[in-house]
Amino acid sequence: MTSSHPHGHPARPPNPTEDPAKQIHLRLAGEKDLPQLVPLLLRLKRLNEEFDPLLKVRPDAEVRAREVLKADLQNPRSVLLAAEGLGTDAGKLVGIVRATVRERPFYAPDSEGVIQDIYLMPLYRRHGVGEFLLQETVRYLKERGAGLVTAEFPTQNEIASRFYAKRGFRPITALHAKII
Amino acid sequence: MVQAQEPSGSDGLSGRPRAARSPPAEEDEAAKTEELGRRAVELARHYHGKIETVPKVPVRSLADFSVWYTPGIARVSLEIARRPEAAFDLTGRWNTIAIVTDGSRVLGLGDIGPQAALPVMEGKALLFKFLGGVDAIPIPVQVGSADELISTVMRLAPAFGGINLEDIASPKCFEVLEELQKKLPIPIWHDDQLGTAAATVAGLLNALKVTDRDIRSVRTVLLGAGAANLVTARLLIALGHDPHRLSVLDHHGILEGEREDMDALALHNRWKYRLALQTNGGGRQGGPAEALREADVLLAASTPDPRTIHPDWIRSMRPGPIVFALANPTPEIWPAQAREAGAAVVATGRGDFPNQVNNSLIFPGVFRGVLDARARNIPDEIVIAAATELARQTARRGITAEHILPTMEEIEVFPEIAAAVASRCVELGIARRTRTRDEFLEVARRRMARTHELASALRAAGLIDPMPDDDPAPKEKS
Repeated sequence: MTSSHPHGHPARPPNPTEDPAKQIHLRLAGEKDLPQLVPLLLRLKRLNEEFDPLLKVRPDAEVRAREVLKADLQNPRSVLLAAEGLGTDAGKLVGIVRATVRERPFYAPDSEGVIQDIYLMPLYRRHGVGEFLLQETVRYLKERGAGLVTAEFPTQNEIASRFYAKRGFRPITALHAKII
Repeated sequence: MVQAQEPSGSDGLSGRPRAARSPPAEEDEAAKTEELGRRAVELARHYHGKIETVPKVPVRSLADFSVWYTPGIARVSLEIARRPEAAFDLTGRWNTIAIVTDGSRVLGLGDIGPQAALPVMEGKALLFKFLGGVDAIPIPVQVGSADELISTVMRLAPAFGGINLEDIASPKCFEVLEELQKKLPIPIWHDDQLGTAAATVAGLLNALKVTDRDIRSVRTVLLGAGAANLVTARLLIALGHDPHRLSVLDHHGILEGEREDMDALALHNRWKYRLALQTNGGGRQGGPAEALREADVLLAASTPDPRTIHPDWIRSMRPGPIVFALANPTPEIWPAQAREAGAAVVATGRGDFPNQVNNSLIFPGVFRGVLDARARNIPDEIVIAAATELARQTARRGITAEHILPTMEEIEVFPEIAAAVASRCVELGIARRTRTRDEFLEVARRRMARTHELASALRAAGLIDPMPDDDPAPKEKS
């Protein structure tokens, strides 16, 4: 006998030679996805916490995450995507995207698609899946009228910085913070 | 999302439920260690250090200094300025290495600083000379970050044919080794990573042979995700071990892609992160109890406590498993206990049990080899060449479950490892000097023998003081 998966979650890395679109099933999320989306969103927030103490995750973050995601589902300007695993990971969510369309009253183009949160389980990274997630998100945002796309992430997150820079993004607004 | 959960029957590496204590009596061990420590301090006080520089050219009169030094020497400098590689011919660079430490993880003592690390580095220099004929200079340095250590070593490099990094905390040691290997055109080695891993792999290759197993089909569990085990895992995979049949555990349990701390690892210890993604096929979760079920091999390099590995875990492995309990000074389980639980081959880090996995079996031969080939670096292929040669040399002499590795007395293996390493450097195209394996072997033997002749001559001439307590040369008790 070789190894088994006693806990029933055999997350295996996707085959890197495969088309990213065939490694996950990406779709708009629904109410039933919330139990699986909340932990994914929390993983991202805990990752952000590593970069700056001002991004410390609150003790009630789990409850809040649920509320925020619920509100997203009801907001016609929001895009909430769930990435589902395939094969042995079928039915299991391995990634999340939260994005929304905001008005730009002073600048052109007048509507901005903001990628607020994007997270992919480690075993699904580095096979073009992240790229696919981004492309699909941009497509949804465009459909909702966005004229440009922006991404929010911690300044210290150099991995994210490089990911976006490689795909033609550049910093346009800086957010500086201090405790008062 | 499934969390890395605490399995019942275990609390990670500390291993509850506790196994019953068994021999040898720990009090005896403590007394022995105490006595050795007392003697070391006494002798350090007597000899004031362990090494010194000795001229190797004749100085008949002060007139000779006009060639050994100025004005004649200027021409030698010019030659090197014109052709830097000439330094390997015209100076002692070819046989001189630096033992560099920041003192951030000295033996089991932790971060005691560079100054306090010096006696250990002197001891290592002595080993380098005695076992490998290598002139090693202890250089403990006062630095902070990994970057500082890297730039310091870069500045020291012109004087040396190789660098031995020593006693540097993990994961800083990975960063430092990786960067220096990229940046410097000489071999860089970190014994706690490469030496220990190579000795472990050598022992394992023979243990597999003794138990009639194939590396390509075994299931292996690495308990402890420190410097040595992370490299051991990498070498095993390079040797054909299926990464999916490999599980690595740290204090939190099995390293696997779904663990909650994966993102933190990606940022702070990418070596561990990469391994977590690569290994543990089937997505096992939990602690050692879960990981070891139906495994063939357990390689522990974790907590020096004989209760770390529970005998029941060994019983849950496949019949006749291989168990390496390598924590020093106390193995994670006493060998007798491991055998009682069914282990077919047991190895530890100690010389007073059979099968000592000791990095001193590796580094002298590796350095002799890379220096004789004047190698430009030490890729994993070289580490593997050293490990497989050590295994092969032991096998040639006959291996049993109690003898998968040579003892330190079997010094004839060192030149063999050196020759294997040097010829591999030639094959890989990283050698500055090309010789046949037999020529490398002959050179290595001669250089290693010379140290012993030198030391005997100095002792016979009374230039090295006899031991003040007139103790005969200490012998390993077995």
